Amino acid sequence: MNGTAVIHSVIDGVLTGSVYALMATGLTLIFGVMDIINVAQGIFVILGAYLSYTLSVHLGIDLFVGLAITIPTLFLVGVVVERVFLSRIKGPEKVVMSILVTYAISLVIEGILNMVFTVNDVELHAWYVSRSVLVFGTYLPYIYLLGFGLAVVLLGALYVMLYRTRFGASVRASLADQAAAALVGINVKNVSTICFGIGIAVTAAGGMIYGATNAFNASSSYDLISRLLVIIVLGGMGSIGGALVAGIMMITIEDMVSVIWGPVWSSLTFFLILVIVLSIRPQGLFGKQSVRMA
Amino acid sequence: MSRLKNVLWLLALVALVLFPLLETNPTYTSIGIFTLIFMGCATSWNMFSGYSGYVNLGSAVFYGSGAYTIALLANHLHVPANGDLFWFVPLGGLVAMIVAIPVGAIALRVRRHTFVVITIAIFFVFQLSAINFSFTGGTSGLELPYISWFVTNFNTPFYYMALGIVVFATLLSVAVRRSRFGLQLLAIRDDEDRAAGLGVKVFAVKLTGYTLSAFAVGMGGALYAIFAGQIYPQFVFDPIFDISIALMAIFGGLGTLLGPLLGALILESMQQYLTIRFSNGSLYLVIFGALFLVVVLFMPQGIVVYARDLFSNYASRHEEGAMVVDPATSAGTPS
Amino acid sequence: MIGKRKLFRSLGVTAVAMATLFTIATSSGASSSGTIAKGQPVLIGASLSLSGDFSADGQAFQRGYELWAADQNAKGGLLGHKIVLKIVSDASSPTQVITNYQALISSDHVNLTFGPFSSLLTLPAAKAVARYGYAMVEGAGGAPSVFQAKLTNVFDAALPVANGLVPFAKWIAALPKAQRPKSIAYVTSTDPFTEPQIPVAEKIIKAAGVKTVYYKTFPAEATDYTPIADAVAAANAQVVVLGSVDVPTVSAFMQAFEQAHYNPKAFIATAGPDQGTTFTKAVGLGNANGMMVPNAWFGGSKNAASEKMVAEYIKKYGGTASGVNADVAEAYAVGQVITAAVKATGGFDNAKIITYLHSGVTMQSVLGSVKFNALGENNLPTAFTFQWQGSKFVEVNPTTDPGATKILYPKPAWKN
Repeated sequence: MNGTAVIHSVIDGVLTGSVYALMATGLTLIFGVMDIINVAQGIFVILGAYLSYTLSVHLGIDLFVGLAITIPTLFLVGVVVERVFLSRIKGPEKVVMSILVTYAISLVIEGILNMVFTVNDVELHAWYVSRSVLVFGTYLPYIYLLGFGLAVVLLGALYVMLYRTRFGASVRASLADQAAAALVGINVKNVSTICFGIGIAVTAAGGMIYGATNAFNASSSYDLISRLLVIIVLGGMGSIGGALVAGIMMITIEDMVSVIWGPVWSSLTFFLILVIVLSIRPQGLFGKQSVRMA
Repeated sequence: MSRLKNVLWLLALVALVLFPLLETNPTYTSIGIFTLIFMGCATSWNMFSGYSGYVNLGSAVFYGSGAYTIALLANHLHVPANGDLFWFVPLGGLVAMIVAIPVGAIALRVRRHTFVVITIAIFFVFQLSAINFSFTGGTSGLELPYISWFVTNFNTPFYYMALGIVVFATLLSVAVRRSRFGLQLLAIRDDEDRAAGLGVKVFAVKLTGYTLSAFAVGMGGALYAIFAGQIYPQFVFDPIFDISIALMAIFGGLGTLLGPLLGALILESMQQYLTIRFSNGSLYLVIFGALFLVVVLFMPQGIVVYARDLFSNYASRHEEGAMVVDPATSAGTPS
Repeated sequence: MIGKRKLFRSLGVTAVAMATLFTIATSSGASSSGTIAKGQPVLIGASLSLSGDFSADGQAFQRGYELWAADQNAKGGLLGHKIVLKIVSDASSPTQVITNYQALISSDHVNLTFGPFSSLLTLPAAKAVARYGYAMVEGAGGAPSVFQAKLTNVFDAALPVANGLVPFAKWIAALPKAQRPKSIAYVTSTDPFTEPQIPVAEKIIKAAGVKTVYYKTFPAEATDYTPIADAVAAANAQVVVLGSVDVPTVSAFMQAFEQAHYNPKAFIATAGPDQGTTFTKAVGLGNANGMMVPNAWFGGSKNAASEKMVAEYIKKYGGTASGVNADVAEAYAVGQVITAAVKATGGFDNAKIITYLHSGVTMQSVLGSVKFNALGENNLPTAFTFQWQGSKFVEVNPTTDPGATKILYPKPAWKN
């Protein structure tokens, strides 16, 4: 084990982690604004990946160009799903019910994807996927750099939306306190719908990068969702900055451990660290400390 | 009303007891065994998570601990391949409880949503440890003695053992709910800080509830190990198991007694049956998910609460001067 | 109160009932009767992974079973009875496998059972059918753990896996000093199929003076292979031995190597490159060039029965000989073994079939000769090493074998 390998793993971790952060951001936004734990987030990532696959293989559209189609498409899917199913969830056990409903939705989507695309693993291809550039003695694959760039752009856009627009202000208000936001005249229902749509649309981008760097099929969603859930809790549920930091942290720790000790210990170490962090700081790194848990 | 309910419970028990005698086809008793194991685990899960509000998504830790206990014992003590192995099933439950103590001590220090994730994290720690350490057999898992008693009724002892676990878990749930301890759990669910302020030793109560819920699940794992004859880490420490147990209890009705039983009964047997019938694996996912979705949206608090409200609304409408029960507030109230 | 007392009383009744039932339980010792009425078909049941983790292989197996059944039916079926296959899906779950085989035997009343896919599922399945006295001939459960259970009804038509890499290791060791690589890296998934193969190979290669510069295992459920592959690339070994179970794993490593501009002189993976077009489509023909894999069968095998089967497969499903998944041949061989056993015993009595298969008789199949030892292992097929050369999948090891082509060494550069 040498120093360059470790540095290389850190760089890998940051680049890959940013993509996971992108996917997790949608999840934490949805939870923060709507009190919904969307366990279907994983399958939506895969859906985005399959959409990019279809555009690329059947219509010859480049992966990044195709995002102009997949992102709005998934936004619409998100809006429809929210209006038809999620808005019906009410009552004191809303969070628990949301797990049930989104789980059922993920099963249906998984089944449909399996029937349409078969269970054979596929991967997204493009000329830049296998190329890399030499930087300071290590090769950095183009696709990871592009993915990192995409994550930065999208997260930046999200930030601008949240902090510089009126709509963003109503989102932040709902994030802070739904009841108060409603009292101030914010249409919480519409805000929720659009937020869900945004949360899913963002995963289209994450899905494309994921599909270009991993062979996948519909059952890849299970691994994904457990990681995403862990990321948002570590970062603090409802905190977008937290999702970014936690996403990068998680992958970087795993990559470093993989190089230093061995791949079998990387996940184990990460989960142990998670347990320790949560024991000391239950609200996650950037989460709000709740005064009363009702 | 109460007497009618008790008679119904009794009838259900008798039906379950008679089932393998009337339906000798091992296919159905096999489905029955798995269904019963899930029923016991869901009830046990509900006993803690339903009453306290702490949703535990790592109960496979108990299941796997029970399974590995019995597998390791069988291998090291060279237990012969006959009914002797069954004596060790409660031991599997006991070990699961012992494991639950330190795990609970760590996990229960955090609140609601964080608790959910920390239970998932601890689950993965267990699963990955089972895969990577050699005394657990690593990825090759562990094998149990090959039991070869009479063929046509091979499933029957397992069925009754599983039924025993279900009865035990149900009785324990009833005992907890009717005790002061149960009231304390419910108080924690409603408002933990206020409960603490009122003198409830919150941490001790939570830990006790968590540990108790491990027993039946550990036994379920041990029984599964004997039935399958071989255990692998990714199947006894299975994240799908974690989710399924919780879903079954919630689907049936979180916090009710009948809920988890009904939820597990419907979901597990339906899933196994659909897989056999619609062998094109993916179609069953779509059907299962769609059915699930429909039920969840129309009966958001679970089947039991929905049915109970229907029934009580009907009954009260036919009584003079009765008040109609508000569904939103009757969720999870002890029946 | 009243309710509780009633409940406890019913428990007592139940306990007594249970005890009584135990003692009077009778067994009718169901086993296949061995004879089928004239004109009735012979039912063969199998549970396969048609969805879930092993689905790609499960579906290939299904094709193999179906191809065999169609061929045998064209010859008049088994002892004049038409073969009807009943295949159910187990979604790659051992719980489902147990229920499935019980259903096949008790509800569908199949006369014979074929094995599922993967060593993980074979063991619970074999135990379930053993209780009914059924034989389980299979082609995909070859991990040592399957045979350690010492079941008498399991027969694996395919070669047991542990020695798969031996021809490759011997070839490396036999290279003249000038050509022999100086360093080698081993990286394997923690899986009962792959892990046992590596130490066997390492021993031979180390003795020839080739230095092991990297030897690590990675979790079977890993999704991100990049850091692992980067570490292997950083070790800069001249040869890489990858213990993989599927195409995505190999494809991920190959992609990461390409991104790191690392091209080993020889690269062998324990599974993946043997999956025909699934492999070449995933990685691209240019990259597949030079990749090696151990196996006991390939599409270009000169075995007469195999050639016929391959021709039929291509006719039905298209593609080329190199594109045929080895699973198809393994499944087909299962059918051939049963054909031989049924013919020899003159019926469908499972007990007689089991005795026959354990009698040391040698049978012929698309995999070559088949002979089972006491544990149900078939040690006759030679372990070969295969390599992709251009668009062809050819045999390269053992070099002394008459069917072997010259090995392509060093491996050409990555080419998209």
